[in-house]
Amino acid sequence: MKVLALEDNKELAKSIHDFLSMAGYVCEMAETIAEAKEKLLSFSYDCILLDIMLPDGNGLDVLRFIKAEKISSGVLIISAKEALDDKIEGLEEGADDYLTKPFHLSELHARIRAIYRRKSLDGNNDKLVTFNEISLNTDTFEAFINNNLLDITRKEFDLLMYFMVNKNRVLSRQAIAAHLWGDYTDNLANLDFVYQHVKNLRKKISLVNGTDYIDTVYGLGYRFKSNTPEA
Amino acid sequence: MKLIDKLTLWIVGVVFLVTPLSMVISYRSIKDNVRQAEIARLKDVNDKVAMQIKAGQPPHQYMLDRPIEIKVVKSMPAQTTHTSNYNFYNTELKREECKLDVISYYSINNKVYSIYTYNYVTRGADILHGMIQALFWKMLLISILVAISARIISRYLLLPFANALKIIQNFSLRQKEKIELTKTNTEEFKQLNFFLKKMTDIALEDYGRVKEFSENASHEVQTPLAVIRTKLELLTETDIRENQAVLIDDMHNAVEKLVKINRSLLLLTKLDNYEFETNESVKFCTITREALHSFENWIQMKNLSITQKIDKEVHLNIHPVLAEILVTNLVSNAIRYNLEDGQIDIKLTKNALTIKNTGLAPEIEPELLFRRFKKSNQSADSIGLGLSIVRQICNVNKFKVCYTYADNLHILKVKFTDEQPGINKPEPANVFKFEENVALA
Repeated sequence: MKVLALEDNKELAKSIHDFLSMAGYVCEMAETIAEAKEKLLSFSYDCILLDIMLPDGNGLDVLRFIKAEKISSGVLIISAKEALDDKIEGLEEGADDYLTKPFHLSELHARIRAIYRRKSLDGNNDKLVTFNEISLNTDTFEAFINNNLLDITRKEFDLLMYFMVNKNRVLSRQAIAAHLWGDYTDNLANLDFVYQHVKNLRKKISLVNGTDYIDTVYGLGYRFKSNTPEA
Repeated sequence: MKLIDKLTLWIVGVVFLVTPLSMVISYRSIKDNVRQAEIARLKDVNDKVAMQIKAGQPPHQYMLDRPIEIKVVKSMPAQTTHTSNYNFYNTELKREECKLDVISYYSINNKVYSIYTYNYVTRGADILHGMIQALFWKMLLISILVAISARIISRYLLLPFANALKIIQNFSLRQKEKIELTKTNTEEFKQLNFFLKKMTDIALEDYGRVKEFSENASHEVQTPLAVIRTKLELLTETDIRENQAVLIDDMHNAVEKLVKINRSLLLLTKLDNYEFETNESVKFCTITREALHSFENWIQMKNLSITQKIDKEVHLNIHPVLAEILVTNLVSNAIRYNLEDGQIDIKLTKNALTIKNTGLAPEIEPELLFRRFKKSNQSADSIGLGLSIVRQICNVNKFKVCYTYADNLHILKVKFTDEQPGINKPEPANVFKFEENVALA
């Protein structure tokens, strides 16, 4: 998958680049709107990460440019602005999703995957995300292990999905909590439920004789371990 | 009282004051003129009689059946004409009459004659009576006409003012639109419009600047935070030792806290700026149920028992995001500060949301907990902005919130409207307990 990240902060851009490269993506960077437009005209990307506040203008201009040039890439807005009207404006202008800074890289990855799933694949199969014996239906929120329906809650489904998208990455409890409960919970205690949720999920998977891919990484969080590196 | 009513009253007041005064003046002038005219007429008669005497003709004995008295007097008085005017009771006609006497002196053929004639004139009282009658009608007519015309004219004259009022009422900083006032040639309204325009323009500018500042500030903080967070994530992907992992986790937690404080402060700023105005109504009952649902695991972990009585069809006029934050904050507080195996009692009616929970007695006055960064237990795993946000959301939506501690229960009540007692009929409580390790979908 090819991603273009339009981000003017060099350190952040490098983080995004490093993480997505590790996940096996081709990640190209642009620091200005002009540079982004040039790249967009010359190459095609599966997903575009778009910052709103840029040195040479507003990122929403790029969104209009993408629309005008009929570029079919998915667009994920990454912005420090979380003013409600900006959010709505971005989505109205054709962005697929909106992520507020500061985000977790694993969250960014999950969002990119979700956009990619929605955008590029139209058949029925695409609602299924599979790994070995595990398959997840993103439409019905059902999980199967060797075609046996797994009895899990919506939050547990989201958690499993998050793990599968971020295979072989250490997911911090903070990142998992933010993914499951969103930005607005004033709940630092959520970290305890992360433990509880992961515990329940692992128990349920082992109940139907699924392989336990989830590893506890001491002091940091969890990792979904797969021996095959992701393509 | 409307301005135009006040003006009308003043004008009518002035009319009431001036009209009787003007009546007195007219009365005097009319009476005087009538007298003068009659005197002149009688004098003419006297002159004529004098001419007759002078010509040696027999003088008229009567004028209009009233005898003319001709006398010879000794000497000529200094004043050749005497007049007197007086009222008397006429026994014949049986009514008050006003008589005007005119005596003129002539010197004819070395003799001084006095010629006396009289007539009845209109009495002053009659004139006054007529005038008072007229006064009543006059004042009535003036008052009615002033009242009616003031209303009609004011509609035209005060139109720029009414328009300005309407525009100001609809003015909102959030809309970011400058006001356009209708042109007027009335000096006062010109001044008013000028002032309004200047004031709203400055307010818009200042608001924009404050908003820009808070947004820039948040932008400037969020990006470095994003850098720290992403670098930490990348760091965890490297080969690290256990003691390093613990350090990274502590940093993660600190960053987490910073992010939450920054977000919460930003939310409070936005609430202060009334950025969440809405006209849509949300089903508050559904939001409450969903919030409870999302905390099931936590409730389960602390083994809390919940009593909930949530009325159906509770519609409130509140921004959906705020409704969610409000309920989430209240419920999560009730869980966080609860005891193991404690209780939570949630009641939602059309008028109020009441959440009662067990917990340690507060160390400070409960109302103080609405202040920013005030926590009953400083070590608690929250940032201490939850209740400030709750209060601010309530303020913005004109709800009332109060926090009390009684019978070992923390009671938080949000009143949506001014409650009328006896309107809510009690419904059977629905008690259930979450059992440990039972997944609730």
